[in-house]
Amino acid sequence: MVRMKSLALLAAPIGVALVVWSCDPQRSAVAPIIGTPLAHFNEFQCTPFKMTGGGRIDYPPGTAEKNPPASHRYETFGAHVMDQDGDCVADQGALEWVDHRPEMRVNGQPLNLHATEVTFAEVATDADCRDGAVHWGGKLRVQNTGQEGVDFVVWDCDDGEPGVSDGFAIAVDLVVNGEFYAVTCPESHAEPTCTLTGGNRQFHPTH
Amino acid sequence: MRIDTFRGTVRFLALVLPMTLVATAQGQMRAASRAEAYGVSVSTPTVNQKSPYAVLPTGEAMSTDQGQGVSVAGLVTAQDLFAIVTGDADPVDGSNAVSSATLGAVQLLNGLITADGVVAIASSTVGDNAVGSNAEGSSLGSLVVGGVEVSDPAPNTRMDLPGVGYVILNEQRPTGDGVTASGLTVNMIHVVLQQPILGLLGQVVGYKTVGNIIVGSATSSVTR
Repeated sequence: MVRMKSLALLAAPIGVALVVWSCDPQRSAVAPIIGTPLAHFNEFQCTPFKMTGGGRIDYPPGTAEKNPPASHRYETFGAHVMDQDGDCVADQGALEWVDHRPEMRVNGQPLNLHATEVTFAEVATDADCRDGAVHWGGKLRVQNTGQEGVDFVVWDCDDGEPGVSDGFAIAVDLVVNGEFYAVTCPESHAEPTCTLTGGNRQFHPTH
Repeated sequence: MRIDTFRGTVRFLALVLPMTLVATAQGQMRAASRAEAYGVSVSTPTVNQKSPYAVLPTGEAMSTDQGQGVSVAGLVTAQDLFAIVTGDADPVDGSNAVSSATLGAVQLLNGLITADGVVAIASSTVGDNAVGSNAEGSSLGSLVVGGVEVSDPAPNTRMDLPGVGYVILNEQRPTGDGVTASGLTVNMIHVVLQQPILGLLGQVVGYKTVGNIIVGSATSSVTR
């Protein structure tokens, strides 16, 4: 009887630990493959960092020139990501993305993507970004439809202050108007990022 | 003599070291990042409303809010509103703050002012090599004021609205000393509602402000 009690006392915390472990989101440092091979953002390292900020992109074409305001051909966003331990696993992250283009309206609203989980975050060592470049991503929810668990990846470039040549690009495992949704700019100095027309990205090497 | 020198050194260190530590701590404590954005704000004696509204919480890096539509009878209607604020206070690598407010179709004062696509962006940065704020990315699409099309208004463009007050387009209000702190508020459409002040003989002797309508507001500020 005593042995049974001891066994139960031993097994209980192990059981609780197993349940907690099973509930913990199993984050992965492996980036999903979305899009085509790139000239930049091919070499990465795992190191502690943080990237913050947001702004506006006028895509297409995604250059430093703004499109006519009435065209609604622009995207706005806010995003941050942090890898505290330098293991390429994101410890914190958030993304809010709004595509204002008329053809990207879904259910009568601008396409609105909201990250629900940021999993991987790796520093790119081959991108032409003076202060730092990051490749990160995870899962998002399409706010217009409520669709959950959609994979996304981001290419993120801090090219110095005040942010006029910083860049950002996104690709999502989501079909909109018959095509996979992506805002990427192959002609930019830090392919595939599109140049910000407003706002700023700031890389923090010491997080 | 040696003892005196030693004691003097100890006294000096006892005095200077705490001051250095305090100064360092204060320097680190001062680093701050602030961001705030909203789509529409109406402030009158009978209405006080701000929506959607996002403000950067202390210690957080991002906040958002949104709304499909806002309508305040007779004053303003707006569609597709988003407010996004991001920022980070970092005494080592530098601080930044970016806020944005975006709107689709907008109508103020029963059509006296209309626009189709409003973007307000305020961005502030402070670091070793740069201190500053800007409104890059802000824009007004298809803006019409009193029947007159207004394209890409310069910062702080003021137009009178007879019988109503006046409007400031692309209003920009900087803050900070530009050395250790920098900030900016951008209000893309700011209507100031006024009423005449009448003299004893019924003549207009001045105007008093009775309300404000702001459409597309973004504020960012950072402190080293």
